[in-house]
Amino acid sequence: MKKKIALKVEQLSVNYDKTPVLWDICCEIPEGKLVGIIGPNGAGKSTFLKTLLGMTRPISGRIEFFGQPYRKVRNRIAYVPQRSSVDWDFPITAFEVVLMGRYGKMGVLKWPNAADRRAAQHALDMVGMLPFADRQISQLSGGQQQRLFIARALLQDADLYLMDEPFAGVDMATEKAIILLMDKLKVQGKTLLVVHHDLSTVDNYFDWVIMFNTCLIASGSTTDVFNSEMILRTYGRSNALLDEAAKLTQSKTSGIK
Amino acid sequence: MCLSSALVGVIVFLRKRSLLGEALSHATYPGVVLSVLFMAIFFPDSNALAPAILVGAFLSSLLGLWIIEKMERRFHAKNDSALCLVLSVFFGLGVLVASRIQFTHALWYKTVQIFLYGQAATMTNIHIFLYALLGVLLSGVLIFFYRQVQMTIFDRDFSGTVGVPVRWVDSFLFLLLVLAIVIGIRSVGVVLMSGMLIAPAVAARQFSHRLWTVFLLAAGVGAFSGFLGNYLSVELPQWGMRRGWNWNFSLPTGPMILLSASGICMLSLLFAPRNGLCTRLVRILRFRKQCLEDNLLKSLWKRDREGGVLLSEVKKWQSLSFLQMLFLVWRLENQGWIERTDSQIQLTKEGKSRAAYIVRLHRLWEAYLVFLGQGVEKVHRSAEEMEHIITPELEKELADLLGDPKRDPHSQPIPSKEETL
Repeated sequence: MKKKIALKVEQLSVNYDKTPVLWDICCEIPEGKLVGIIGPNGAGKSTFLKTLLGMTRPISGRIEFFGQPYRKVRNRIAYVPQRSSVDWDFPITAFEVVLMGRYGKMGVLKWPNAADRRAAQHALDMVGMLPFADRQISQLSGGQQQRLFIARALLQDADLYLMDEPFAGVDMATEKAIILLMDKLKVQGKTLLVVHHDLSTVDNYFDWVIMFNTCLIASGSTTDVFNSEMILRTYGRSNALLDEAAKLTQSKTSGIK
Repeated sequence: MCLSSALVGVIVFLRKRSLLGEALSHATYPGVVLSVLFMAIFFPDSNALAPAILVGAFLSSLLGLWIIEKMERRFHAKNDSALCLVLSVFFGLGVLVASRIQFTHALWYKTVQIFLYGQAATMTNIHIFLYALLGVLLSGVLIFFYRQVQMTIFDRDFSGTVGVPVRWVDSFLFLLLVLAIVIGIRSVGVVLMSGMLIAPAVAARQFSHRLWTVFLLAAGVGAFSGFLGNYLSVELPQWGMRRGWNWNFSLPTGPMILLSASGICMLSLLFAPRNGLCTRLVRILRFRKQCLEDNLLKSLWKRDREGGVLLSEVKKWQSLSFLQMLFLVWRLENQGWIERTDSQIQLTKEGKSRAAYIVRLHRLWEAYLVFLGQGVEKVHRSAEEMEHIITPELEKELADLLGDPKRDPHSQPIPSKEETL
């Protein structure tokens, strides 16, 4: 039986201004897994997600979703960005944020119809935010804002969910609620890629991990690869020399001393 | 004209790039000057001066925009440095050429000057038609692509992933900005144009949490200020003349429009129903008044004696001046919380319930803090503040959590719910 692959990455390298942020990443993620992306700060985890979604251009590499390039399967992929990337003072209500999940499927000049609104309300209900539907987003707590993003992603009805630090700055109750939702999605056969920062919960939450620190350290099921040796290699200092070399490369090629 | 600039101003304001409007409006000046010079030299008798100036202003503002982007991307200049540089260099160039024109083409110089501070009085039908058309176009386009605009400004990354061409939307919005500026400088002037972008947006933001309401309100404020400014610039000197003062001049429209818009903006910042400064002040004062009343009623309740209490005694408990206390007592009596017989005051039935309620909240909060692990000596202070703040929902949750306690940490009885009704 051929295993179905949700995401295949080959030799992906991304630079920021001549400094490598991702170096030669190769990995394969099967469908129906809850994947944790682990690594220290600055390891390129967010950049990895952004490159997958075409927001950052790699200098080399190939990315395939379900065996096809991104632009062909864009409708099957949902993105939950970091909370800090959004302006929370913007005049918009919680309901309108969630409704945005449908915008991708509507035509250019169409407006959301009653069915779309109904679906948005359902999604709000699933994350427990229905009573806050008409609240201005600046009046919501961090956990509530995160739930809004998740509800929006749910509305997109995707097969692959990419989430950037969904548990950052979120209260315990919200974290538990989000994990339950993720499990529910996994049971339905969806694949989830989650950038995660808390090592202590990796065993509990994820059944597959990708660990990297600019280059790939390990990729596989949690039971196989999430052990102390790999953790040490990811978070240890052996990669520091790589940083040093990268800085030297940058200064030599751009002429700055 | 002011309507379209107000609409675009909302976008610029929400993107937190208000200074860009300032830089770009100043960048139109050399375009204006050069196109006047061009027409003066090559087509002095043409009727197409107005459109020529429009085109010149548009092009030079676009050039300014391009330079700003290049400086930020290629040369890694900081945003405000790039804006400052473009603003001063472009404007300076314009002033330079204009001062030369003052002597070589003196008649044409006047046209150029109009664009510094705006002047509506000399606009012809061509102007009005042209600007109205452009204004309608701008508004129409915004309505058409409302969803894309809303999405891109709010959450750029997400919009990219659902297929919105964010780069195109960005360029498109920049174009709209330049267009709105170019339309507006005839009546508001180059120097003050950015105010017309921002003031209506700020005013509108005070009143609403929904984007389309903000757009509508800003458009309204913009249109109204435009009208008021034009009206005042014509009427005010005439009013002065009628009074016998020697006001034989016409006020430039730009400053008048801007003063109107800023006036409305100031009023909205002060008096907006939700967050206006004065509205908030009133709320704060009301809350303080409530606290004083609560405290007095509480003191009376604690010293529950038949026959009431002498006024002079009450003065001793509270740290109020005699006048303040008299006023407070008068107000409480008026509202029916206390009754007065001779010089003694006593709680009414309602007053007793209200006081019991406050005491209940105070003691419930103390019990809660001790439950969390705070020392018994420290909880009184916090409860003194919280007793005025706790809502009925919170009260119910506290009672449920603590199991409807009958005694507080100081072993004093907590009034039951029935006593407080």
